[in-house]
Amino acid sequence: MVVLTAICAALYAAILIPFKVVPLIPGITEFRPANAIPVVCSFLFGPAAAWGSALGNLIGDFFGGLGPGDLFGFLANLLYGLVPYAVWEAVTDAPPVPEGPLASLGLLLVMGVAAMLCATVVGWGLHLLGFHPFTVLGTVVLMNNLVVAVVLAPFLLAVLYPRVRRARLLYRDLLGPRRPLPRWRAALGATLVLVGTCTAFAAGELIAGGRWVAPWAAYETASRRLEVGLGLLPLLGLAIVGLALL
Amino acid sequence: MALTLYVAAPTPLHRLHPVTKLGLLAAFVVAAFMVDRPLLLVPLAAVIAVLMVLARALPNVRRLRVMFLLVFFFTLVVWTFFYQSVLVPTYGGFLYGLSTAIRLDTFLATGILFLSTTRVEEVAYALGRLGLPYTMGFTLTLAFRLVPVFFDAALSVVQAQRCRGLEFGRGGVVARLRRFVPVIVPVLIGALRRADRMAMALELRGFNSGRPRTTYLRARAGAADVLAGTLAVATVATYVVLWAAGIGTLAAHP
Amino acid sequence: MTRATAGVASAVTVRDLGCTYAGATRPALDGLTCELPAGGLAVVMGATGAGKSTLARCLTRLVPCFLPADLRGEIRLLGQPIDGARVGALAGTIGMVFQDFEAQLFSTDVTQEIVFGLEHTGVAPDQIPERVTRALAAVGLAGFEGRDPTTLSGGEKQRLAIAGLLALRPPIMVLDEPTTDLDPTGRAEVFDVLGRLRAEGLSLVLIEHDTAAAAAADLLVLLRDGRIAASGAPARLLADVDACLAAGVRPPDVCRVFAMLGLVEPPLDVTAAAERLRARGLVPRVSDEPVSRPAAGSAIIEMRGLGHRYPDGRRALADVSLSIGRGEFIALVGPNGSGKTTLAKHLNGLLAPTEGRVTLEGRDVAGLPLETLAQRVGYVFQDPDHQLFAATVAEEVAFGPQNVGLPAAEVEARVAEALAAVELRERDADPFLLDKGARQRLAVAAILALRPDVLVLDEPTTGLDFREQERMLDLLDRLHAAGRTVIIITHTPWVIAEHARRVVLLKGGRIRYDGPLRPFFADEGLAAEAAFRPPEVTRLGRLLGCTPLSVAELVAWIGRGA
Repeated sequence: MVVLTAICAALYAAILIPFKVVPLIPGITEFRPANAIPVVCSFLFGPAAAWGSALGNLIGDFFGGLGPGDLFGFLANLLYGLVPYAVWEAVTDAPPVPEGPLASLGLLLVMGVAAMLCATVVGWGLHLLGFHPFTVLGTVVLMNNLVVAVVLAPFLLAVLYPRVRRARLLYRDLLGPRRPLPRWRAALGATLVLVGTCTAFAAGELIAGGRWVAPWAAYETASRRLEVGLGLLPLLGLAIVGLALL
Repeated sequence: MALTLYVAAPTPLHRLHPVTKLGLLAAFVVAAFMVDRPLLLVPLAAVIAVLMVLARALPNVRRLRVMFLLVFFFTLVVWTFFYQSVLVPTYGGFLYGLSTAIRLDTFLATGILFLSTTRVEEVAYALGRLGLPYTMGFTLTLAFRLVPVFFDAALSVVQAQRCRGLEFGRGGVVARLRRFVPVIVPVLIGALRRADRMAMALELRGFNSGRPRTTYLRARAGAADVLAGTLAVATVATYVVLWAAGIGTLAAHP
Repeated sequence: MTRATAGVASAVTVRDLGCTYAGATRPALDGLTCELPAGGLAVVMGATGAGKSTLARCLTRLVPCFLPADLRGEIRLLGQPIDGARVGALAGTIGMVFQDFEAQLFSTDVTQEIVFGLEHTGVAPDQIPERVTRALAAVGLAGFEGRDPTTLSGGEKQRLAIAGLLALRPPIMVLDEPTTDLDPTGRAEVFDVLGRLRAEGLSLVLIEHDTAAAAAADLLVLLRDGRIAASGAPARLLADVDACLAAGVRPPDVCRVFAMLGLVEPPLDVTAAAERLRARGLVPRVSDEPVSRPAAGSAIIEMRGLGHRYPDGRRALADVSLSIGRGEFIALVGPNGSGKTTLAKHLNGLLAPTEGRVTLEGRDVAGLPLETLAQRVGYVFQDPDHQLFAATVAEEVAFGPQNVGLPAAEVEARVAEALAAVELRERDADPFLLDKGARQRLAVAAILALRPDVLVLDEPTTGLDFREQERMLDLLDRLHAAGRTVIIITHTPWVIAEHARRVVLLKGGRIRYDGPLRPFFADEGLAAEAAFRPPEVTRLGRLLGCTPLSVAELVAWIGRGA
């Protein structure tokens, strides 16, 4: 586990670093083909990938500037590596490879949710700190994650999954079979993750854009940091509770 | 190729206790949050600049100078246009953008100062002293150590695929992205082959030996740490006072 | 003796050891029995898959603790049975070093690297500084404290890995091909360390491909298909040339010369061998040594005043002028850091010169599009795993031709042709599952499919066993015979002597020698500058007054039964 986590982290960081020179939002995010790594590794290595992508993102910033925003980067990438395998496994026993239209669609959906949750947490956190508006950062990260997930991840999974399975390095080989989950719990968890993520993202766009104020966060700050910060909190909480159920 | 920012130099800053370094980093970050007025952030930036010189970290600033400029102008432009709205320029946004830009550059500088004077082992040690489980700290160290290995592997793979006619800088976003498949797969497979060996090598060195672990790196705090601690507390105190007095805050511009 | 082996007669005792990996149908080891006396050196040799690494892993309990397997028989270390022990619990008893040194280093600081194992085995902190100092001194790394391992050479990294284990004070060390990934200088450094450890009384088990390392052993074990093909004194085993070849081991040149001349009990030392031959009147009669003239084809690649500086300002190449003729077979040699790989990467535009220029048939390489270059100058990287990615062998080979935009039918023809050339039949196999030799050949096929006129190969035989090396070299000879220009970067003297026609020696980024082989090998100083010794048979010949490039050549010159 330690080694796999370190390897996921190092891979992520190593592929991030060359792209530090073409930033999308300087100092915060870059155009990152590397963002396929957490998703792909998640399906292969499970928890090791979640911790690995959180650490990998942090290490990537070790090579190009560290700041308070990294706390949220850590959390966002942890979720980015956690959601895909956790949700997929709760919903189906099928291997996460794009074989057939149903599996492909399911994969895209799961990856999309992960991408959106990651983008929402980054956008939320950095808006809360007052660094960058959610409208810009959240959107950019989402687009980047989505494009990479759709274009790269299925191809990588198709080639890598069978090999990792043969090498007996899938996390299920290492951790043993998962405990069966009651159906209601799996369904509720997955639904909460989906609903929490989508509403949080939408709320982020609306609040930061000045088109809505959450009734439970009706402040007036210069940068709307508290409006966004507190406005999104309960919605993100839903997604986290959902994940905890899985 | 030098990837890391660490500067191997025997300066007083390098010799500080890891926890002290982490404390200084936190102090500067907190202080920078306390005020919005651009002018008030300048003294803080000056303190950091002096420490930079002491730590011989200026070459790193030069290395990342593009980043400083990009962060500054990008932040300024974005907030000018996206302040409580979408794509509408405002003066309030401009002011807020200016202060945020300075603040972000201050963070960038603080981060560079920290990374220039602190080895990853020290980071892991400091976090351990603050209660992080050993395994987490060790994983961080191990990952850090592997980054240059995989980075070099990725460079080799890129060259090897170029020899087979793979042209990276051509086509649209999708076509370009797809060319990363022949790069990422060999790097990942190579990493997996290595994962097995690495796990074995760890055990051979006594990892999981069943014996209780001892700790060798036991940094001791000295006079310099007291001095640095005082600086940290004074900085935070000064800025908290400014904040409490309401001096540094910008009013909301509707 | 400073280590705790006193009083125990046997360091390693293996009785009737059998091992079948989980899911395997055939045992990896079957009925192994051998014994290594305390303080001795055992060398284990054999082809890939003979069970060498499995044996090493059984001794350290990595099998079955790590790699699940069904184990039979008994292993004792220092007289104590080890069944049931955890790998980590044996850390102070037996250490193990692998070929891949990068996988054995876990820190970003040399001192911390040594400290790691000490902390994990519960050594008291006040003892640690002394242990670190001693371990580093034992491998010749004193003064490296505080350095980042990333800045070390391969040989230094491997020695650091050894030091990390030595600090735990194991009386026994197992080394699984510790020098395969190293250049001759690194190899010499590591063997030097092993010599010192042996003098200190450590018991060593060394897995190696090179028989030169076996000569000094107390015990040589030849493995074949998981069984002991032969074991005993090296001089006796290596003299049996046929048995060595059958086990996939390249016998020493001297032994082959003696065997071909019908002499028995060859000495393993070149000087002694020369004396024996001279005493029997078996001296070569050559009046005129044939000079291997480089093929007289027209120049295909020209380098004029080539210089290269890295972005950080270091100079890698200076004033290199080289003319490469069509149909040549060139060996590019030199110590690590001499600029071999940098030079080779200029041949197909992977690197752009910072001074001077490189032309391909008169046209500047810098101006040629990638597709054109890829189809003219092929470059096979040292590690085949740096390019293999596709799901099947056929897709892998098709990748290049598809990239340069060839039509489907042509791509298919190229794939068939390239796979036939390298003798790979498993079109639909997963490249990931092929053995190293087959992966290396697949990497060559992937380049051949682009039908390049010039083929550059970076250490094509490294990490392969003798049979696979021969197979790779046969392939290169065939490609050369078919008119291709072949350029190899290599450290292996016999590969140069038996296959290349011209040597280019680089030193410090400049050309130090460029010409035919015989004068190169006749000049001991030159070979030393390349950080290697001429092949054994050449050294034997030099003592007898000639410069043979192969065993067959020397034997022919001596004349059978003369």
